[in-house]
Amino acid sequence: MGQDNFAPQKRSSTGGGGGLPTIRNEAGAGGRNRGFPSMPRGRQMHKTFNNIKITILCGFVTILVLRGTIGVGNLGSSEAEAINQNLIEETNRILAEIRSDSDPTDPDESPETELNPNVTYTLGPKITDWDQQRKVWLSKNPEFPNFVNGKARILLVTGSPPNPCDNAIGDHYLLKAIKNKIDYCRLHGIEIVYNMAHLDKELAGYWAKLPLIRRLMLSHPELEWIWWMDSDAFFTDMVFEIPLYKYEKYNLVIHGYPDLLFEQKSWIALNTGSFLFRNCQWSLDLLDAWAPMGPKGPIREEAGRILTANLKGRPAFEADDQSALIYLLLSQKDQWMDKVFIENQYYLHGYWAGLVDRYEEMMEKYHPGLGDERWPFVTHFVGCKPCGSYGDYSVERCLRSMQRAFNFADNQVLKLYGFRHRGLLGPNIKRIRNETATPLEIIDQLDIRRSVHGKTESKS
Amino acid sequence: MVDNCLGAQRSRKIQRTLRHCKVTILCLVLTVVVLRGTIGAGKFGTPGQDFVEIRDHLYSRKQGEPHRVLKEVQTTSSDNHDGADTNAGTNNYNEFDINKILIDEEPDVPKRDPNAPYSVGPRISDWDEQRSRWLQENPNYPNFIGPNKPRVLLVTGSSPKPCENPVGDHYLLKSIKNKIDYCRLHGIEIFYNMALLDAEMAGFWAKLPLIRKLLLSHPEVEFLWWMDSDAMFTDMAFEVPWERYKDSNFVMHGWNEMVYDQKNWIGLNTGSFLLRNGQWALDILDAWAPMGPKGKIREEAGKVLTRELKNRPVFEADDQSAMVYLLATQREKWGDKVYLENSYYLHGYWGILVDRYEEMIENYHPGLGDHRWPLVTHFVGCKPCGKFGDYSVERCLKQMDRAFNFGDNQILQIYGFTHKSLASRRVKRVRNETGNPLEVKDELGLLHPAFKAVK
Repeated sequence: MGQDNFAPQKRSSTGGGGGLPTIRNEAGAGGRNRGFPSMPRGRQMHKTFNNIKITILCGFVTILVLRGTIGVGNLGSSEAEAINQNLIEETNRILAEIRSDSDPTDPDESPETELNPNVTYTLGPKITDWDQQRKVWLSKNPEFPNFVNGKARILLVTGSPPNPCDNAIGDHYLLKAIKNKIDYCRLHGIEIVYNMAHLDKELAGYWAKLPLIRRLMLSHPELEWIWWMDSDAFFTDMVFEIPLYKYEKYNLVIHGYPDLLFEQKSWIALNTGSFLFRNCQWSLDLLDAWAPMGPKGPIREEAGRILTANLKGRPAFEADDQSALIYLLLSQKDQWMDKVFIENQYYLHGYWAGLVDRYEEMMEKYHPGLGDERWPFVTHFVGCKPCGSYGDYSVERCLRSMQRAFNFADNQVLKLYGFRHRGLLGPNIKRIRNETATPLEIIDQLDIRRSVHGKTESKS
Repeated sequence: MVDNCLGAQRSRKIQRTLRHCKVTILCLVLTVVVLRGTIGAGKFGTPGQDFVEIRDHLYSRKQGEPHRVLKEVQTTSSDNHDGADTNAGTNNYNEFDINKILIDEEPDVPKRDPNAPYSVGPRISDWDEQRSRWLQENPNYPNFIGPNKPRVLLVTGSSPKPCENPVGDHYLLKSIKNKIDYCRLHGIEIFYNMALLDAEMAGFWAKLPLIRKLLLSHPEVEFLWWMDSDAMFTDMAFEVPWERYKDSNFVMHGWNEMVYDQKNWIGLNTGSFLLRNGQWALDILDAWAPMGPKGKIREEAGKVLTRELKNRPVFEADDQSAMVYLLATQREKWGDKVYLENSYYLHGYWGILVDRYEEMIENYHPGLGDHRWPLVTHFVGCKPCGKFGDYSVERCLKQMDRAFNFGDNQILQIYGFTHKSLASRRVKRVRNETGNPLEVKDELGLLHPAFKAVK
């Protein structure tokens, strides 16, 4: 009843222009206004305003509440998460930049022109009188002799690429390897050069040692021997000293097996992961003869094919320095072999796979100073490639073995200080000798340097 | 409908009541929601948490901790590897967790009784006599390898476990290469420590038992030079002025006024210092150590130090603050043998140095060691081996690269090379090869420097 009364009034009011939905809501409007048969215009407007106010207020409150809970415009994540995400992305970008080979500072580097394959690559201008030059220099510079305290001056050269490894574990084992070398060289009075620069763009990778060795030889005439050692080789006999007296008539000392070399022509007959070069003209000539297979690109590829064809067991890949040296020594045997000493009486290079599992047996039965299969001088982790992404062996096996070799060697260093590792894998150490108030009594017995020096003195 | 049953008046009342109830309930719900949104309702959580939970549930993603800033986001290419996918057989280094290997095989030693007072070792009181007797008996191991040139052992170190930061080990490697280069030129031996000799003195205090052990095991060493792993040599030609310290036993970079008068906690720096081997060194190590043992002692000592020293923040006791406190409070006992050096950067705070390298290259030359060409640039606060430090990761790592290259250039120029720029890893030739290599002299004279000459 009321509705009928009201409706025409509504219609007239809405006819004026745009009624509000609330008033159009018949049920509500009807329910509310059922008790009132008539409504003056002013009151109605007043009521309209009230409703509008209530609506706005409710809307406002709703928005506030929603904002307080979910947030407006950032429905994906809360603020802290967003910052964190940004930081992580930024850091990843920095890490990727650090790891990548690209150099942000020289953007317009001209593309490297490949070497003309008809022109033989050379390491530098030919020198023919290095022995005389060196002798003259040594006589003019007596304060830089090539023999110190009766021992020939040796320089250990090693290195790694200037970029971070593809994975963090690789850098960690490079660090452990250099610590291991520092320890050995401190005990034996040998200096170290750790190279992280590519001196020659053409000879990158495993060939990089050639220009480096040549450069060091020519800059340091006071050096008698240059000892190259790979970054994945660990010293495992801290007492053993290289018997230089055996090599007085030789200029290259390298680990290998003559029968594998001459009879089988195997590509692993020698190992260029650890070898000694005398600083002399002969060595410069050998380096010059060795280098031509190295320059990267078609030369190296082609050389790789030749090497695979001529050496037994060699897989097909680009030329590497070891195969090239073997090939060189085989094909020009008469020119070089009389000055090359192929050493296998001790492990100047010791292939890791047959050695690392026997460390406990060695510790039980033998003692440091032997250098051979009873207590290997060097344990060389060929094929593990911890700095790359993939190795030739299982990662767990490689890392476990490297850690064992590291601890095995470190125990020999820590012995002087009265400690040793708790097991060959773990990082922690334990005391094996109590502190005393008279430490010097035991030092003389245990210091490796004193035992080494004693031996060389007795020989001379 | 209702008023047909109950009568108009009654139904009106009921409806009004219903309306009031509706309004009341609505207001109540609103209040609860608003309060929950602001204060939270205890274990029922906040709506924000609800939302996050729902999101996580939907995406089933592990919630990233806010501190894992440098966690590597591995794009595990787990698709199609011919070969083992399991950790045991994988050949891919990126998929392997090294912590599976680094486990101790032997049980831990029983812990020391915390109530017993800590000591670095049995007290020795005649070390000078013992040492001089030994030096007389062993003339092949003199403590001076030249006139005014003592035998120095540089000691540094890092943790035996891989760094938490994926590139941390790379920067440790560069840092040790840098030290190897300087020490080779200057006839200094290096000891790189990776062993924790005393579990109580872990962290920055680990150097104390190590230094004591090395001093006692190497009587031929005259000076022990401790250097942090985050410090790099940036002046390869500078030789430490040993004669200046002939009457001192402990040389640190610092300022007398800041230590003795102001008791400022950064009045000196224990990241790079020289300690002479002798009884005095053992005594000061004994006096320095008591604030070190971790746990309650270190915490309490930290509070004392924060209270006593100027500007020190609140954290557990560190070796540097402890040394400032020791010197400031016992000056008469130790001060006359401690030399606080500030005429060259035995320790150089990186923040004020690294941006000026280009300016230095233009205006100065190596061999100065001071603000014009710092001997050491020390990256305090960067903590490249940890997850995060006090400074931005990008700035720290980029500047460490620059400092490394700045020092490396001085080595490379010996051989005729230099880095293409201070930010670049690549090198370029600056001197052509000749047929007479021995006539070439490098500019800095580092090829055959005087401080390396053998008598």
